[in-house]
Amino acid sequence: MLSAQDLALDYRSGSSVAHAVDTVSVAVERGSFVGLIGPSGSGKSSLMYLLSGLKRPTRGTVAFEGQAYRDISSSGLIRLRRQRFGFVFQQHFLINYLSAFENVMVGAVKRNHEVAAYAQQLLRRVGLGDKLRQRPYQLSIGERQRVAVARALVHRPAVVFADEPTASLDQATGREVIRLLADYRTDGGGSVVVVTHDPAMLTGADRVLQMRDGPLQPARGRRHCPSWRR
Amino acid sequence: MENPLSLWHFYLRNKRKVIPVIGILALAILGVVVTDSLLASARETAYATFGSYQKLILVAPRATRDQDLANPLADSLNQLRDVQLKVDTLDGPGGLTAYYDAVIAIPARLRAQLPAVQQLQIDAANARYYAARLRGDLVPLGDLIVRVQRLQSEQQSFDQLVQQLTQNPSDPRPLITYLQQHQTWLQSVLPDTAQLGRLQGAVSNASADAAGLQRSLQAMSNDTANLNAAGQNVANLPVPPSPSATIDQFKSALDRLTSSLGAIQAPQPGLDQLVAASARIPGAAFVKRDAYSNLDINLLAGNAQFDLYGVDQPGMRQLLSLYGDQVIAGRLPQANASEIVLSEEIARSRQVWVGGKVGNNLDELDRLPDAFTVVGIIRGPTRLGIIPLDYMTEHYLFERRYQGLVVVPQAGQEQAVHDQLQKLIGDSAFRLFDWTYIKGKIDSLIANLDTINHFLILLVTIVLALVVGLLNNLFFRQRMNEFGLLAAVGYSRWGLIFRVAWESLGVTLAAWILGVGLGVVLLSWFNMIFMVPHGLLMNVFDWNVLALHTLPIPLMVFLFGMGTVAWQLLRLDPISIIERRD
Repeated sequence: MLSAQDLALDYRSGSSVAHAVDTVSVAVERGSFVGLIGPSGSGKSSLMYLLSGLKRPTRGTVAFEGQAYRDISSSGLIRLRRQRFGFVFQQHFLINYLSAFENVMVGAVKRNHEVAAYAQQLLRRVGLGDKLRQRPYQLSIGERQRVAVARALVHRPAVVFADEPTASLDQATGREVIRLLADYRTDGGGSVVVVTHDPAMLTGADRVLQMRDGPLQPARGRRHCPSWRR
Repeated sequence: MENPLSLWHFYLRNKRKVIPVIGILALAILGVVVTDSLLASARETAYATFGSYQKLILVAPRATRDQDLANPLADSLNQLRDVQLKVDTLDGPGGLTAYYDAVIAIPARLRAQLPAVQQLQIDAANARYYAARLRGDLVPLGDLIVRVQRLQSEQQSFDQLVQQLTQNPSDPRPLITYLQQHQTWLQSVLPDTAQLGRLQGAVSNASADAAGLQRSLQAMSNDTANLNAAGQNVANLPVPPSPSATIDQFKSALDRLTSSLGAIQAPQPGLDQLVAASARIPGAAFVKRDAYSNLDINLLAGNAQFDLYGVDQPGMRQLLSLYGDQVIAGRLPQANASEIVLSEEIARSRQVWVGGKVGNNLDELDRLPDAFTVVGIIRGPTRLGIIPLDYMTEHYLFERRYQGLVVVPQAGQEQAVHDQLQKLIGDSAFRLFDWTYIKGKIDSLIANLDTINHFLILLVTIVLALVVGLLNNLFFRQRMNEFGLLAAVGYSRWGLIFRVAWESLGVTLAAWILGVGLGVVLLSWFNMIFMVPHGLLMNVFDWNVLALHTLPIPLMVFLFGMGTVAWQLLRLDPISIIERRD
């Protein structure tokens, strides 16, 4: 569904060139949970930006459902991100003058009663059914990140990109957030790409790829965590 | 389903940030509405105050040297002194008396034998008689000297006042003292018509007596010549004063005095002919003699002289009918009475009503002399003040000099009548006042205030655009995360720019509506408690002021604020915001 071939992203500073992503190929199948791990500065976030169309690669191609990004206009890519992708970032980026429910609805492409009901359902599922009207500053950090997850899922995206979603959370809350994302494979039928530096968070992933210099490698020592599946 | 990013949500949830901005903008707009409305009010009030010129043309004398009362008065003084000098010389040592005494000293026998000497004695007696009369004639003229001298001392007082005020402008006491004295000096110094008539009679008598004296002296001269021709030398008989050298000078001095006094008393030269010729202009509805005067009134933009028409009784009714005005209280002024009828706005402006008084005796800035009783109040579309022509011309010396005429053109004939009048006037000492001229004067008066006002509006607009623009940017920076997220998850840049534009537009629009609304409320209240009671006009719903003059503020604020925010949004990199670790 989502594939990248020989992706490279260079940053030029004067005469020197930094290779943020260097010749990476990856494929994300429909309904899969792919984890990307790697040390800090290995380019995993950059890869996610390339895969989600937030950045254009220096070389290589990215294609979603068979259509290469380079053949899609800027506005087409924006539409793609808006309608088919969901995003969770390290920070929640909730709009502080909106309630938890309204923040979730910010991610909705269509706004109708059905979507609103789904948003409420998502919030209930993330354990915030009684905090629909609370503002972000009235929620804990973990709760805010769960609202951000619901926001990423409300429009039933084909792919959810999560960039270090647990970095600012404690271990237990982090696991809960990852579980919510992992459940989307079965509940929403979408794929999930999670970028993290913490391998412990990817125990439920179908595939974990490690970013190092050069091509992606399957991570060693990965194990399933069946208890995450419902 | 409600859009969480709707404007309503934004305003409702950001009240604490939005309301102060709306408040600042609204207050500025309110300020502009108020100052602009007051300025417009000053213009409208000025137009209304001089609105009578929209239907008539005033032909008024120019202030030339001929119109200047001080000149004939000064001339009269000089001539009078000259006359006195001549009479003193004639009747002094070696003059008529000495000659008469010499004639009397001739032995009676000799005088009896010589008829020419007898005749000389008679003529010398006559000369003495006329000289004595002439001295008597000059007594009432002395009154004029005293008055003119007082005029001159008044001028000195005024010069002294100016000097004192220049040296110490903060001390009003010399001014107050002067004004207290000044209130009555016009009445006390200037002779009235009756006094002036008596003076003229005295001068006329003096002139006749001077003529008698001249004849007597001429006869004496002839008698002396006859005696000499007969070869009968009369010892010790002095040579009589020369009639040609003395009397001619004396007579011409008297003639000049008569002429100067006549110039004081005579009405505007050429006025009668002008009235007659104006009445024959095709397109002139009616022509009236007018002894115009003025009342001082406040127009917000400063004091102005409200024109009063001094016309006869039929003329009063014609003026009211012309403008569609009606007497709503009291009556029109009676003939030859110090009475005035005023439009209600002017009466309110002067805080008078029927029974009240206006005039220079009460307000030093009024040109209307003395104190006129308000006997009627007029209501109608045009502001008028009417006084009786005969009273003005018969009682006040100065007003005699300010007679003109009122010419009312038929509808559509204004320019033609104006041109005809201009042709009639030619180079004579008259000028025309019509609506074009008056409006130009008003506009030029208001133009300076307009410039100041426009400068202030510009200043307020620039300052507000900067302040609100900076607040906007500050607010925008606080919402950087919001815009970064929205851009990252697929909201288009232009969509975000339009959203911010609508937010800004809503704020500025709300501020504009609030400012204008507050302005209307405030002005309505001010109009009720101040403007109307003082006879000042204010159009609270002047859309030119409310819309056109206030719009630049929200517009500039919007454009400046939006411009800077849009520029930042276009350069926004969502990844840099996402990757920020703060």
